[in-house]
Amino acid sequence: MDVSRRGFFKLSGLSIAALAAGLGFDPAVAEAKGYALKLEGTKKIPSICHFCSGGCGMLLYVKEGKLIHLEGDPDHPTNEGTLCPKAASLLSVANSPDRVTKPRRRAPGADKWEDISWEEALDIVAKKTKEVRDASWKVADQIVNAKTGLTESLTVNRVEGIAFLGSAEVDNEESYLIKKFCQLIGTPYNEHQARI
Amino acid sequence: MSPSFGRGAMTNSWSDLKNAEVFLIAGSNCAENHPIAMKWINRAKENGAKIIVVDPRFTRTASKADIFAQIRPGTDIAYLGAIINYIIEQKLYDQKYVLNYTNALLKVSTDYKLEDGLFSGYDAKTRKYGTASWGYQLGPDKKPLKAESIEDPDSVFSKLKAHYSRYTFDTAEKISGIPAAKIKEIADVFCKGKPASILYALGMTQHTTGVQGIRAYAIIQLLLGNIGKAGGGINALRGEPNVQGSTDMANLVSNLPGYLPHPINTDKTLRDYLVRNGSFFEKHIVAQLKAWFGENATKDNDYGFSLLPKTNPAVNATMVKLFEMMNKEQFKLLFNVGSNSLVSIPDRQLVRSALTKLDMLVVSDLFEIETAQFWREPGVNPADIKTEVIMFPAAFVYEKAGSMSNSSRWIQWKDAALEPLGESLPDLDMLDHLFKKIRKLYAGSTDVKDAPILKARWDYGEHTSALKVLQELSGYDETTGKLLPTIGDYLKAPIGTASTGCWIYAGVTGNGNLAARRNNADPSGLGLFKDWSFAWPGNVRILYNRASCDEAGQPVDAKRKLIWWDEAAKVWAGNDGGDLVDKTKGPDTPEGKLSFRMNPEGVGRLFAATYMSGLPAEAPADGLPAIGIRPAGICVDGPLPEFYEPTESPTTNILHPEVSISPCALVVSTQIGKSDKFPHVLTTYGVVEHFCAGGITRNIPWLNEIMPEPFAEISKNLAAKIKVVEGDMVEVSSARGKITVRALVTDRLQSYKVNGKDTETIGMPWSWGFASLSPGPSTNEITIAALDPGAGTPEYKVCLVDIRRAN
Repeated sequence: MDVSRRGFFKLSGLSIAALAAGLGFDPAVAEAKGYALKLEGTKKIPSICHFCSGGCGMLLYVKEGKLIHLEGDPDHPTNEGTLCPKAASLLSVANSPDRVTKPRRRAPGADKWEDISWEEALDIVAKKTKEVRDASWKVADQIVNAKTGLTESLTVNRVEGIAFLGSAEVDNEESYLIKKFCQLIGTPYNEHQARI
Repeated sequence: MSPSFGRGAMTNSWSDLKNAEVFLIAGSNCAENHPIAMKWINRAKENGAKIIVVDPRFTRTASKADIFAQIRPGTDIAYLGAIINYIIEQKLYDQKYVLNYTNALLKVSTDYKLEDGLFSGYDAKTRKYGTASWGYQLGPDKKPLKAESIEDPDSVFSKLKAHYSRYTFDTAEKISGIPAAKIKEIADVFCKGKPASILYALGMTQHTTGVQGIRAYAIIQLLLGNIGKAGGGINALRGEPNVQGSTDMANLVSNLPGYLPHPINTDKTLRDYLVRNGSFFEKHIVAQLKAWFGENATKDNDYGFSLLPKTNPAVNATMVKLFEMMNKEQFKLLFNVGSNSLVSIPDRQLVRSALTKLDMLVVSDLFEIETAQFWREPGVNPADIKTEVIMFPAAFVYEKAGSMSNSSRWIQWKDAALEPLGESLPDLDMLDHLFKKIRKLYAGSTDVKDAPILKARWDYGEHTSALKVLQELSGYDETTGKLLPTIGDYLKAPIGTASTGCWIYAGVTGNGNLAARRNNADPSGLGLFKDWSFAWPGNVRILYNRASCDEAGQPVDAKRKLIWWDEAAKVWAGNDGGDLVDKTKGPDTPEGKLSFRMNPEGVGRLFAATYMSGLPAEAPADGLPAIGIRPAGICVDGPLPEFYEPTESPTTNILHPEVSISPCALVVSTQIGKSDKFPHVLTTYGVVEHFCAGGITRNIPWLNEIMPEPFAEISKNLAAKIKVVEGDMVEVSSARGKITVRALVTDRLQSYKVNGKDTETIGMPWSWGFASLSPGPSTNEITIAALDPGAGTPEYKVCLVDIRRAN
């Protein structure tokens, strides 16, 4: 019966509004409502894209702690609301089932991961840092002075056994703390992908 | 760029690109890798701007070009040298700019020379240069002598002219494969448009002559007067979301935050450090020591300078070399945050081997990247690998508060929009918790070596606060404990009374969090947006903008006014913040004349001379070595760009066959191929759907659907020769390995002639690895680890390969 009604209205050339009136609601309103439903009750929060160095603005639509929708920030002067395919796909990272969500440990020689707690992971790493730091501490470089030909002992107070890679993928504050952390524990061996 | 202009950063901004009249885009496929650039380039094009693209492939960027030239990878300096020669011969340079804003008139040491491809001072044993002969002739006041005219045979300009007289269009054609007439056309179009902008990215830097290629750009732009101007500049399109910031923060072995030189083993005291680096750095390193050690850094204890580790300058520990050191078992513990070296390092067998030498690998990332699971790469037996691996789950960009600095040097703040997924945490929290745990382990120690940990100022709240960290970067008045309002206040504060973790960020949170500003008004219409976020230094949007004015301090381009001297108010005013020492010092004062204030000469450097400014005429009476003000940034492989063949090249350098490749290149790969066995040139590139090593993008289903696997892009000629059609599997091999991928047969690559010989370029994207939702062979299995001697950047863009049908 539904089908025939629809067919009838189509054939009779009546307007959509008339059709809607016949159905008891206005599709224009319903359509707008449908779109609104997706974003209804969401909070718009600006953020920054995480791919190239454009620093394009993104708007995140968040509801009950979930990312519902992501689009270009129309107020951002660089991208004026547009996003490239990569940036547009960042919606999926927030809810990806492939994210690592717990600290993990792979034991020497093991063929799989085991989940561990943050506390445990931090303890393991802190202890290892101390162990390697203490064992590889270098007080001085022995350098031959080019002018005198004599070997000089130059104080360096440096850790030789720890290196830190990172990172152009983290925030300024994190990148800064990486450097500060390295310098305080005594390793100058901090590099990252800006080099390559 | 830093040896030319004094700072290593993109000079202009994304939105400034619309102001250009002509673009040279060479070494960047921005349409795919920096799509936002195209928005502004297209806007300029609509206003009549011309676009020149030089690339080994006809890229998506090239599809928008008015002039396109296909170049043999790694030969940029040959055609750029020919353009420099043409500019000088035809007197196309901006005479006033060259005289006032470059070192063209300064006299070069009479010991300087270039002979058979080697600059003076070369030591064949160490493969390094002694740079003493690259200096200026100095007067009794220790200042460079200035020639009367640029015709003076000792002047920088004359040296430049003589150097590039060898680079004719015909020579450049033989080397680069670009027809001579096309190079002339590029030169004519580029020189005619004012302002003219150069854009580059990794296509230019990933060579053993990467730094020198950018130097060639700098020479062209200084000759044409295009630096410091809206619509001009050299726009280094940085490759990662925060690579500008992470470079500012010095996640690099040779620096401390804010581009301070890292202390070395001969710096026994702060004074030694200043003798080597100049008094300019005194305020900044002391402020950093105050930020790190607070009240434990005092004048009496040399501001805690002894608490910093000192490097051995004889050891090169740049990223690829660091893996070499790791492979020799130097490191027992590696932290790996936000990087995927097993995919991204050239000749990646080195990484695979080096990681097995560690006791422990600590990874923090979003996904289980290849580097985190190197112990189970196909073909590897996990039981053989004794490295313990700890993986921390990292929070993503929108799950944490903090700032990133984009290519335009805009420090942009964002609040956390979401809670971190599952148990993941920001790296900030991880580092904070870890440092506090380590400090606890050392509690009570009186050992000298533990003092830096125990005496550090480290308080970012119970719940680690990114804002507190940014405030540390912004800086405090240490006498009151209050935030310093602006960078001006920081610079005025007496040494030892101010702290900042990174002086170029001083003031970013001084008057509220300026990085969070969202006023997008642009009253000048020049795309400056100076109330949107905050740009370092001091909210200057176009670097070196003093050079946009004439000697009287008035803008030379009436349509694009950045700053000007307001004689009535006795102050520099403008649409942009002035890149000036002091905005109350007029254009006729020594300070007000400085166009490139970060260089010791105060001008742009056509010739990258060795020089330290401010040395006293007489040696100090106390017998101690004198402290100068500021040393010049130099290039370790020469004061002028010279063309050298890539490490693996299909031909010999016709300028100097005996010194064919860079005499300073750092070759890490042990297997080097020759053109008899590996006749084709491989160049690697990125595609819009994937990002760098693919750690994120290969885990996004949408992107994998559009771009599921890597491929080898070859010309129709080559396809016919090896009898493959599109979609066939091909094996691409180098002296280091081989991989099998699908063939993409295309018109975007054409056969060309090099020194008369037919040559083929093969193109391959490199973003794949064995893990993720969309695994694929890693192109870095076959690339070469040969590094630029100054920057340490590998020559990803050129190596020799062979190709054949795989099935």
